[in-house]
Amino acid sequence: MLHTLNKETLKTRIAEISRFYRERGRMPSFSELGELVGLRSKNAVYKLVAKLEGLNVLSKDERGRLIPRSLASPVKVLGMVEAGFPSPAEEELLDTLSLDKYLIDNPAATFLLKVSGESMTEAGIMPGDMVLVDRSRTAQSGDIIIAEVDGAWTMKYLKKRGQTVALMPANSRFKPIVPKSELKIAGVVTAVIRKYR
Amino acid sequence: MQTQPISLHSWPRAILHVDADAFFASCEQAVHPELRGKPVITGKERGIVAAASYEAKARGVERGMRLFEVKKVCPDAVILPSDYETYSLFSVRMFDILRRFTPDVEEYSIDEAFADLTGLRRSFHGPYGVIAGQIQETMGRELGFTVSIGVSLSKVLAKIASKWKKPHGLTLIPGSDIHLYLQKLPIGKVWGIGPNTSAYLRKFGITTALDYARKDEAFVKEKLSKPYREIWQELNGHSVYPVVTETKSSYQSISKAKTFTPPSQDEAFVFAQLSKNLEAACIKARRYKLAACRLILFLRTQDFRSEGVELSLDRPSAFPSDLFGPLKEGFKTIFHNGTLYRQTVVVLAGLKPAGDVQFTLFDDTSRIEKMARVYSAVDALSARYGKYAVHHGASLPTKLQVRHEGERGDTPERVKELFKGETSRQRLGLPVWKIDV
Repeated sequence: MLHTLNKETLKTRIAEISRFYRERGRMPSFSELGELVGLRSKNAVYKLVAKLEGLNVLSKDERGRLIPRSLASPVKVLGMVEAGFPSPAEEELLDTLSLDKYLIDNPAATFLLKVSGESMTEAGIMPGDMVLVDRSRTAQSGDIIIAEVDGAWTMKYLKKRGQTVALMPANSRFKPIVPKSELKIAGVVTAVIRKYR
Repeated sequence: MQTQPISLHSWPRAILHVDADAFFASCEQAVHPELRGKPVITGKERGIVAAASYEAKARGVERGMRLFEVKKVCPDAVILPSDYETYSLFSVRMFDILRRFTPDVEEYSIDEAFADLTGLRRSFHGPYGVIAGQIQETMGRELGFTVSIGVSLSKVLAKIASKWKKPHGLTLIPGSDIHLYLQKLPIGKVWGIGPNTSAYLRKFGITTALDYARKDEAFVKEKLSKPYREIWQELNGHSVYPVVTETKSSYQSISKAKTFTPPSQDEAFVFAQLSKNLEAACIKARRYKLAACRLILFLRTQDFRSEGVELSLDRPSAFPSDLFGPLKEGFKTIFHNGTLYRQTVVVLAGLKPAGDVQFTLFDDTSRIEKMARVYSAVDALSARYGKYAVHHGASLPTKLQVRHEGERGDTPERVKELFKGETSRQRLGLPVWKIDV
């Protein structure tokens, strides 16, 4: 059974972890975390940790133990709760995702870019397409990134193998790029949009 | 005495002021990365510098300088038309990032905000400096440009702190350090104290902000009015001005003005600009469900003289169809043939909630209700197809003739290069990164 985490539960959980950290002076262990938020399966705890890592709330040290990251809340903190009761139909639809929310995780850090080159056509990104780029995401190997390599801008797959980094095209006519002096990752491509009509 | 601190408490309150660095120019550099490190200027369509990047400032370019002067001091400056849509998108984002840390945010202007951090040390388990540092770092990373931040015990002090080091500055002024900063600050640089007041204060031997702060309260009460007493208190570390989070919920008057270049003496064109001001003001009044009792209009000439007139309306209204008559009447009394005009202004005054408006014996109620339905339809169409999708014929000349000379060539890039489905009126609410990939 799919169990989707909604914003309220997530905020409550983050608050619980925060309180633990303040009171004990350290982050909880995985089993303590499970007790804290009421999750019994180890798998569920791992999933929660992964989600919180993605939100930059916490991360893991070299030994895999939890350490706190951003002090800020990943979602806007609302000072006032809006009053009013939704209609029965609206209640049912409270958890639906709009296309905006579906495509954009961090509105403050997401930009539009019109693709002009052909280096990623085999990944389905064509010249003229719109891509959404998130400046706040940490790029992982396998992500499509926008980067400045040795002074030139490019959109490629990021390939990390140990310490070496290469930028891979998705077009047989293009060659992989290995940065010589400088690689600045500006953002991660999170979606490509092509409107026909 | 000079070395004695102003406040014995470090942080009775903590107010943060964030000020984007060279905001408009920085936005342009954020979407055009190839312009980073270059002298960039915005305001091309106005003929004067609206904003200058730090690189341009270093070369002697100042805000308000005419463009031909810029070309003399900085021939390689990149001069761009203003792209208010993009700047507004960045502004909203800056405030949203600030709201991740606290809901107590006051949007002071398009590129400045105050935030009340008091008490956050406990929930964030860290000192104010760390919180401010995270805010600065997050904004830099997600927006693509730098901001300067000041944190202190009051708004006036926070503003002094944010301006202390620019660009990309982070200055904290706890109670124990206030005197150290104020003694280095000329009195004229304090927020709210202008050249006239500083000249007045200089007569009493007050030249620095510290001189002013150290004066006793009796002096300030006797010699100056309330606003300056409040500033005195703020300089002394007492927060008098709260961080105001509420957005405007209502207005007492709504004004809409537009400047056009080159100036015009064409009666139809000037009236068309005025009509467009009226429609815009009415749209805003309807949005807040207000109706105006008085109409004010004025014209400003090329040599910056204004002439205006105020009319009382028969009944409160926010419908252009009711207001065109008075507008035309008023216009006829202030428009002079042969004069070059550069700006038109309309003010809807005496605003009251539209729901409160009563019908009088002389009103044609069926016509009034029909007009209400017409404008309701106009507002619905605007929501769907963009502002001015439907407008009055009187403002048509503004669509046919550009507002600024050379505007066609000076349309912001964002409006020229559209994605499929976007129109010149309606576009997606995200900034477009201009790089070739």
